[in-house]
Amino acid sequence: MLKKVSFLVFAVVASLLLILTGCGKDKEVVTTGKEEDANGKTLRIVTDANYAPFEFLEGNKVVGFDIDFIKAVAKEAGYEAKVESVGWDPIFVEIESKRADVAVSAITVNDERKQTYDFSVPYFLSTNKILVPEKSDIKSGDELKGNSIAVQTGTTGQEAVEKLLGKNHKDIKKFENNNLAIQELLQGGAAAVVADNTVVEEYVKNNPDQKLKVVEDSQAFNEEFYGLMFPKGSELKADFDKAVNAIYENGKYAEIYKEWFGVEPDLETLKAQQ
Amino acid sequence: MSFRWDIIFEYAPFLLKGALLTIGLSVSSILIGTFLGLLIGLGKIMRNKVLAAPFYFYVTVFRGTPLLVQIFLIHFGIVPFFTGETNAVAAGVIALSLNAAAYIAEIFRAGIQSIDNGQMEGARSLGMTHAQTMIHVVLPQAFKRMIPPLGNEFIVLLKDSSLLCVIAAPELMYWGKAMGSQYFKVWEPYLACAFIYLFLTLVLSFALNGLERRLKTV
Repeated sequence: MLKKVSFLVFAVVASLLLILTGCGKDKEVVTTGKEEDANGKTLRIVTDANYAPFEFLEGNKVVGFDIDFIKAVAKEAGYEAKVESVGWDPIFVEIESKRADVAVSAITVNDERKQTYDFSVPYFLSTNKILVPEKSDIKSGDELKGNSIAVQTGTTGQEAVEKLLGKNHKDIKKFENNNLAIQELLQGGAAAVVADNTVVEEYVKNNPDQKLKVVEDSQAFNEEFYGLMFPKGSELKADFDKAVNAIYENGKYAEIYKEWFGVEPDLETLKAQQ
Repeated sequence: MSFRWDIIFEYAPFLLKGALLTIGLSVSSILIGTFLGLLIGLGKIMRNKVLAAPFYFYVTVFRGTPLLVQIFLIHFGIVPFFTGETNAVAAGVIALSLNAAAYIAEIFRAGIQSIDNGQMEGARSLGMTHAQTMIHVVLPQAFKRMIPPLGNEFIVLLKDSSLLCVIAAPELMYWGKAMGSQYFKVWEPYLACAFIYLFLTLVLSFALNGLERRLKTV
């Protein structure tokens, strides 16, 4: 009897250990080397590592432009950063309930979101574009009407399409992430995907054999700016605003930008938004 | 944090539409799955091991892999392979019924094997064939014993249909998620979904209880 009980206890402990090892997976602590700094607090930074090249998983590490950017900014502001991939919708819950300090996940700043969250100064310029098969006739946002469109749920891509077709229109298929939406397009279940330009352009560049192309429509889709997202009233905002501007000035931003996108950033437009 | 009834009312028509699709998906998958499950269950108890092997294989594969994985494979792989395009509802029915069939096959097998061998021997000695005995003697008794586990399986299937939101099948959970991601809310959409699912499973278990009572031998 005692043997059985101790075996059960062993089994429970062993399984809990397994769970714990699973938890540690995609967290990563970045030491800034400024530990003497009074600010040297470790921040919990949340993202949705499903949006290459901004944030994605390489093995079990979260990498991407956003990740390099937030590390540089946190270092500049004198914090340690622990980046964790939690998924898109949970980001907003974590930040609203203040369980995380900062979110960086190609989050577009808009008035609706500003009501519930604080944003840093914009750090990236983006616009939604349409991803279609090479032989598609779709040439503008208007021509999306009557076709079924795949988007990532809760993104500005979804918003832009809903503006054109109507909210919760039956032709809009909302997926958990962009990869699934693109997969739906490849398998013929959707005529187009609407998402941030960098993401669809990157996809086309990396997958030439899929025969896709990107359609631009600056009339239907406006320019958007990404910002770091904080809980409402966060004290970090001022520090991070200063740090973002500092890495604009010292060339660190341009360095990271070029590394990921191969071109010079348009710093003037970004600064003009402040 | 205030509970926003208004967004539930705003999404009520969508949740209702989603619930109808959930019912449709579940009922059709229950029917197809039960039919397939009966065939597979009978196949598994065939005495010829070679003939029974494919049925063993089927149950091993569909019971041994996660339903979520099967949903992705069927939606992005199998359905487009045959039709050239994806169809979330079709993929949903296929995935749910194939998956349920594996479990239902086991329920049928267990039910049939739970009937005492003497029944088969008695009927055979009265001159009935093996098939006749199955249909008129064994299956009617076995079916009664299968109702509780079948009921469990149907309820599991109904709840598992929520997984289809990942392939954008516009069922109940899909609209719950759409609502959640529009307003970045957790309680309102998911409590509303939970309530509707609970209502659906309650109705289903009442129906199954009724069936069980009617079939009870006096």
